Amino acid sequence: MKKNHGLLYTLPTGLWVTVFFLVPVIIVFLYSFLDRGERGGIVWRFSLEAYRDMASPTFLHILVITMLISLAATVLTLLVALPCAYYMARSKRKSLYLFLIIIPFLTNFLIRIYAWQAILGNSGFLNNLLIRAGLIKNHIQFLYNEWAVIIVLVYSYLPYAILPLYSTIEKFDFSLLEAARDLGTSHPGSILRVMVPNIRAGIVSAVLFTFIPTFGAYAVPKLVGGGKNSFMLGNIIADEILVNRNWPFASATSILITLVTTAALGLYVLANKSAARAAQRKKT
Amino acid sequence: MKKSRFSKLVFFLTLVFLFMPLFVLAVYAFNESKNMLWTGFSLVWFERLFTGSRNIWRAFWNSILIALTSAATATVLGSLGAIGINWYNFKLKKYVQTVSLLPLVLPEIIIGVSMLIFFVGIDLHLGLLRIYIAHTTFNLPFVLLVVISRLDEFDFSIIEAARDLGAREHQTLLRIIIPMAMPGIISAFLIAVTMSLEDFVITSFVSGPGSSTLPVHIYSMIRTGVSPVVNALSVVLLGGTICLVFLMRPFFKYIAHE
Amino acid sequence: MNGSDVKIEGIDKHFGDFHALRNVNIHIQGGEFFSLLGPSGCGKTTLLRILAGFESPAAGLVRINGRNILPLPPNKRHTNMIFQNYALFPHLTVFENVAFPLRLKKLGRREIDAKVEEYLALTKLAGQEYKKPAQLSGGQKQRVAIARALVNGPEVLLLDEPLSALDAKLRQHMLIELDTIHDKTGITFIYVTHDQQEALSVSDHIAVMNEGRIVQVGNPTEIYESPADVFVANFIGEANLFHGTIASVEGEMVSVEVKNMGILKVTMEPGDLEGMRDFQPGKQASITVRPEKINIALEKPPDLLQDVFNAFPCVVDEVIYNGFQSKFFVKLSGTGGNGNSAIKAFKQHMSYYSAGPEINWKDRVWVWWKADDAYLVEVHDA
Repeated sequence: MKKNHGLLYTLPTGLWVTVFFLVPVIIVFLYSFLDRGERGGIVWRFSLEAYRDMASPTFLHILVITMLISLAATVLTLLVALPCAYYMARSKRKSLYLFLIIIPFLTNFLIRIYAWQAILGNSGFLNNLLIRAGLIKNHIQFLYNEWAVIIVLVYSYLPYAILPLYSTIEKFDFSLLEAARDLGTSHPGSILRVMVPNIRAGIVSAVLFTFIPTFGAYAVPKLVGGGKNSFMLGNIIADEILVNRNWPFASATSILITLVTTAALGLYVLANKSAARAAQRKKT
Repeated sequence: MKKSRFSKLVFFLTLVFLFMPLFVLAVYAFNESKNMLWTGFSLVWFERLFTGSRNIWRAFWNSILIALTSAATATVLGSLGAIGINWYNFKLKKYVQTVSLLPLVLPEIIIGVSMLIFFVGIDLHLGLLRIYIAHTTFNLPFVLLVVISRLDEFDFSIIEAARDLGAREHQTLLRIIIPMAMPGIISAFLIAVTMSLEDFVITSFVSGPGSSTLPVHIYSMIRTGVSPVVNALSVVLLGGTICLVFLMRPFFKYIAHE
Repeated sequence: MNGSDVKIEGIDKHFGDFHALRNVNIHIQGGEFFSLLGPSGCGKTTLLRILAGFESPAAGLVRINGRNILPLPPNKRHTNMIFQNYALFPHLTVFENVAFPLRLKKLGRREIDAKVEEYLALTKLAGQEYKKPAQLSGGQKQRVAIARALVNGPEVLLLDEPLSALDAKLRQHMLIELDTIHDKTGITFIYVTHDQQEALSVSDHIAVMNEGRIVQVGNPTEIYESPADVFVANFIGEANLFHGTIASVEGEMVSVEVKNMGILKVTMEPGDLEGMRDFQPGKQASITVRPEKINIALEKPPDLLQDVFNAFPCVVDEVIYNGFQSKFFVKLSGTGGNGNSAIKAFKQHMSYYSAGPEINWKDRVWVWWKADDAYLVEVHDA
């Protein structure tokens, strides 16, 4: 009796995601092993051409740049998010601060990028300010390089990192820190040795929530990047689909991104499982 | 207190970092000149936005239409799915759980590309329908997570109690489970609406010509450089966002949870 | 209203490899307050959930007034359950929680109002109608759960550790109230608990369960005074257990040779004489003596009859003062205090002045008990 109802409840969701998510992803996977059509599309002939094309120096360069940019953005985000989440979780005005963090996060993504264009642009707010203050004579090119991309990525995904950290730190029992200090640890020492292991799940989520979207970033590098050091994999996919009409190559690149992100996710699941198993062993 | 001074400093600097760009944007919406040099107060860009930008408003109404329909679909499907996943055991549970949460963890561009290729493959050309399907798909996992976290607060014995007191399956669903999950369902719907209004990457892949949503339209405006009409639009959207957030405040709990 | 007669016949239940219930047979008379008592994991809650319809057994029957109810789903059974965590509907008021089963039956408004008020009054909840469960105390939630389960007029009320979430004082109070409600309604109560005090204090009959089996069914006095085996003796109340070999059987008097102690005398009750055919010299025997039946004093009482009294010189190992009583943990003089040689004796403080000289840690004392107060729980072959 129970069984049938459960399936009934989940059937619509299950069908929807199968047809509109799983099937498309499988198609992309298949396409990556086919030949490209002359004017776009594919030809039903097995080919590893798309994967062979990945060995080109240009592609490898972009792969490395993408890795570096998303790692830098992730690390920076974490460094900012940790103290923020800590302060929020310990403060008396938790819900106000949460609210403040979420507002910009709910502002349209493109408008947030646009704001940075308006600030960092050659005739933007910052250049105007500096010129008026007499600090510089000619404008500085802030935009269209890897640093602009990193800053805007951090800006875009910071709340994604703060929220999971906040929710684990908030559940953390702060009397443990006092116990550690009582037993003779310094304040930074107690945070490092008592708090960090206890909020590990939050840290890992924060890292994943920033790494995954930044690794597949498309709009940010497109709008504030440019030049050979800030063109990312996401832009390659878009170009191959929309401009070069090389669908197998776009598919193969998508598969590459999917593999990297699922690998990151797999590590997370594995880490959780081994932690659970260790806890189990302790019990018995 | 000494120990939280560092984190306090970082937190307030972060708030400045988060709000400063939006603030600058809002201020320059009232600037007379077209570039980022302050020349005087003016409402000319708002006038341009409200009178001379029919395309913006067409995109805006598209966005609203898509957001409401896709969020509603996702909320209905996802809430039922959450009930099934949270409280029942059945054969395909693991499968549904995994596949329906995957869109949440893959980068948007992957979903965008695969859906575009899929739609082309099945010869579906209606832009708005494509966007509706895509948005429902990426909203489903959010609804699932939020509603599951609400249902998680209740013990299964509540369902057993309802049955024990004489309720049949549909009565338990309508009189107990859905009313109980309602705060979660509402916040799931609001999140889905926001996500849909927000989405650019996936939409830009699946939408065809003539069916752009607001973010896609904004993209076409800002790609060519700074335009104060966008500033004015930002102010209007910011106001709308803040109103929406106020509406959502009672449901914060489930959002922060995820 | 008279409660219904419940017959549980040959119930068996597995959860994977775990054998949760093994051939359970119980007959519960209509209108009884019947307890299922046992440690956690003994199968008592599973049995209750089978009665409610949330689990189905691998084998066996459950008859209420002679009719097998196992094919019925929970919503078709005339049983109602009180859940351990109350399981109140959080979005409904107290009134609506209680009215829920009546609304499902589509009763008229007047009838619903009248019935709900009647049961809210019975459970002393009048005036709390419009509160939500979150605004209630633990005891009040419990009352709502009771009212909600009774309002449907069940034949049998199933209670799954209903008091375990309450603090000790409130538990005592609610127990008395449950007993009152039981008397007023006359419904059959089946009460699951791991707390022997609760079970002993209100039940008409108790079934003690262990590892999926019924170990003993009896009224509270039988369970306490004549435990069926060593497990029951240990589980119900506190017990001194002595293991030895039967030396002789003379009429009602059995003598058991216990290492370190010598001969212990046990008087069998006339009812047990039948079973005494097994009590032959040379067999292994376990004897239990309740600590409150053991006397303790600094000096040897002069008027002890060797035949009916068991008396031993001891050293006090530990004293726990409880206000109304003191617990003495003593060991036999000249032994290490292991196994048979450790004895607990509880002394009630009946009157402050008659307490006699105080007994302290490390004092040399005498403990003694009547052969009548010892009980031979188990006899088996060597």
